[in-house]
Amino acid sequence: MLTLVIGGAASGKSEYAERLVLESGLPRYYLATMQVWDAECAARVEKHRKMRAEKQFETVECPLHLEQVRLPGRGVALLEDLGNLAANELYDPAGAGENALAALLSGIDAIERQCRRLIVVSNEVFRGGAEYAGDTEVYLKLLARAHNALAARADEVVRVVCGVPVYYKGGSSQ
Amino acid sequence: MIFITGPLYSGKRTFAKKIAPKEKIFTEAQELAADADDLNVLADRLAEYDVVTATEVGGGVVPMDPAQRTAREAAGRLACLLAGRADCVVEMFCGLPRILKGELPQC
Repeated sequence: MLTLVIGGAASGKSEYAERLVLESGLPRYYLATMQVWDAECAARVEKHRKMRAEKQFETVECPLHLEQVRLPGRGVALLEDLGNLAANELYDPAGAGENALAALLSGIDAIERQCRRLIVVSNEVFRGGAEYAGDTEVYLKLLARAHNALAARADEVVRVVCGVPVYYKGGSSQ
Repeated sequence: MIFITGPLYSGKRTFAKKIAPKEKIFTEAQELAADADDLNVLADRLAEYDVVTATEVGGGVVPMDPAQRTAREAAGRLACLLAGRADCVVEMFCGLPRILKGELPQC
């Protein structure tokens, strides 16, 4: 089962996604996409890792190459977040570059096959204008294509607004 | 007229093509707003199409550039006028349509 959770910055999307995971008694995996650049990143990662450990999440680092990740057991996986993973695949020299869309989609496929339920958190960044240049345009197109492709095959698509989940597909509100 | 709004790359055009022939669709109406003398006249003219799409552009930080501010303002106003004239308003999100007003005609 695939659930896509999308929201703007500080919209409460992570909390909501986490809530969905905690509802189940299955093993919990957190697929962390952030790349650690400096001490500030490292401290942030460590803090979040501890917070999740208290909630019995096992953290799996996957800043790149999602399709190579093997989950230790069959449970619920929370991928956070797709916007970050997309940027990594697009811009990291070790990433998929122009094949980023295929890499993201096949990676998510591979994870979905390894778990009972996959929750993908992603970012709403498309409401601020229609004219972007260069790299921003490329990135926005990539993320939008990934969203639209995932939304088409997801069981649930939910947009989180001020902490309130609004279902566009599946879910209890339909 | 059916008005389709939604954020950038949310599948507006793709959805429009599913419900109307290409020549009866007008896309990216927000681009006309800034140069229009009268938005009501423009909205009347656009309402003659079967389907009009416009990209939501008002959800970011207020632009520093005055011309961009004016364009964004006009785009938002035009969208309101189009929605007012539309029998049906659809909002796209990640390729998924949501009906905000009226209903889609049976195809």
